[in-house]
Formats: sequence, structure tokens, C-alpha cells
Amino acid sequence: MKFSLARQALILAAFSLLPGVGQAIYFRDKISWRSPIPPSEMVSIDQAREWGDSAIWIDARPDDEFARDHVPGAISLNEDRWNELLPEFLAAWSPGKKVVVYCSAQSCDLAREVAERLRKEAQLPDVFVLEGGWEAWQKKNK
Amino acid sequence: MRFSLCNLLWRIVDLIIAAIFIYAGVLKALDPVQLARDIDHYKILPWTVGVALAFYLPWLEIFCGLALIFRLFYRGALSILTVLVVVFLVATIAAKARGLDITCGCFGHASQNWSFPTHLALDLGILAALAALCYCSVARARASASPAPM
Repeated sequence: MKFSLARQALILAAFSLLPGVGQAIYFRDKISWRSPIPPSEMVSIDQAREWGDSAIWIDARPDDEFARDHVPGAISLNEDRWNELLPEFLAAWSPGKKVVVYCSAQSCDLAREVAERLRKEAQLPDVFVLEGGWEAWQKKNK
Repeated sequence: MRFSLCNLLWRIVDLIIAAIFIYAGVLKALDPVQLARDIDHYKILPWTVGVALAFYLPWLEIFCGLALIFRLFYRGALSILTVLVVVFLVATIAAKARGLDITCGCFGHASQNWSFPTHLALDLGILAALAALCYCSVARARASASPAPM
């Protein structure tokens, strides 16, 4: 059975798609399909710790994960209960304080979304996303 | 006799090129997250496209390498690999011209410390071999298509 060059190339390209899709599903928690957060909007665990009391920690994960465990002193603020939790957070915040937002891992988008909303809707400056998220925090505190 | 020796030599080139692409593909398939970052460093494609390519390109290289070994869809594989190398060469030169300090990611961690001339030399070498194999394949196809001398 003979195939033209273009058809051969097309078949190979199509075959390669299958394991590629499988791998994309397998790695779905390891990499975000959204563009990475600019370094200026991120903060490392060590840097955030150095800020001490001048920083407020925000846990952007769902309620059940927050209830299971969280960074000591962190306040829960997730998009599911945004309107309910935002006033609680704003009551704890004061001008000049930095905000450190985290979600489960480097690949999750929750922290980025909460950070964006805090910047745009609450007009807060100095909002940072924690590098590596909760996963990195746990590793560092083992 | 001379013809079969020549064929054997080309077959060896085939296998070397196939091995290079399978090796490179497997290394990259093992760490697509790093490959996505490497692609992003070129600052040519949007992040999402880079991620999609990071999942797709390694398998394309592996399948094309296997196609060269088993001589199945041989010409299709040769043309895909040639296009891939040309695109990669152009992207590397463009990145260098824009002053970007990039890791090509072509052989995973193994290639992280390679210099620009090393990348260029390897890519040009592979491209030359692919071009020769393409030429050979077309010549063989023409020879088998032409009527036998009376």
C-alpha cells in the first residue's frame, strides 16, 4: 500500500497526537496552560517569611482544603465564597501590608485569580503569589 | 556489490538519525514541563501553544524516528524531521540575534550547557544528513519507477 508524502506525514502527525494528549492529561496537575505569572508578582517562601507581620497570608484553596490544614495565620479567601470572605479579609488588612496568596501547587490557577481580583476589584497594591504554593510550603516545613 | 555497500551506508545514516531523534524525543517526553519552559524562553509562541508543543513534539520525533528504522511512512518521516530541524534552526538563530540567553532543550538536561556553536553545528549536521537521505529516497523512487532498459 503506497501513500503520498503528504499523507504519510499526516498519518505520523496524527499518531503522535494520541500519546501527546494522554500525556497532557497525565501531567494536568503539573503544568498550567495559562501563561506563567511574571516574576515581579511572585514571592518565594523565604522572602514572604522575612516580611513577618507586615504580610497577610491568603489561602485561595477551597474551604475543605483550608479546614484540613493551612499556613499558620492564613485567612481563607476563595472564589467560591468571594463576597462572603472578602470583607473578613479587608477587616484584617491595613494599608502598607503585603498580601501573599497561595493555592495547592505551582500549577494551580486559584492563587493567581484571587491575586488578580484583589488587585483589580479591591484595588490592593503589593499582592504576590507564593512560589510553589501549599505543596512547597509543606515540603519546606517537613 | 558497490550498490549494496552504498545502500548499507545510507541505512547506517538512517539509523543514526533515527536514534538521535528517538533519544531526544524520549528525554523530552520524560519532562514536558521543562520543555514547555524551554520553548517559552524563545519568546516566539504564546505559553499555551508552547505547552501544547511540549506534549506533542517529543512524540512526533519518536514516531518519525521509529518510521525511519522500520521504513514505514519513510518519506513522510524524513520530511517532518527536516521541517522540524529547519524551524528549530531558524528559532535558535532568531533567539540569538535578539540576545536571548536560551537553553535549547533539544536533548533535555544533557544539552543545557551546550554553547550556541555546538547547537548550530549539530543541527546543521543533522539537516545535511536529512537532506542527503531525502535526495537518496527520491533518487531510489525515480530509479524504481523508470522502465528497465531493453
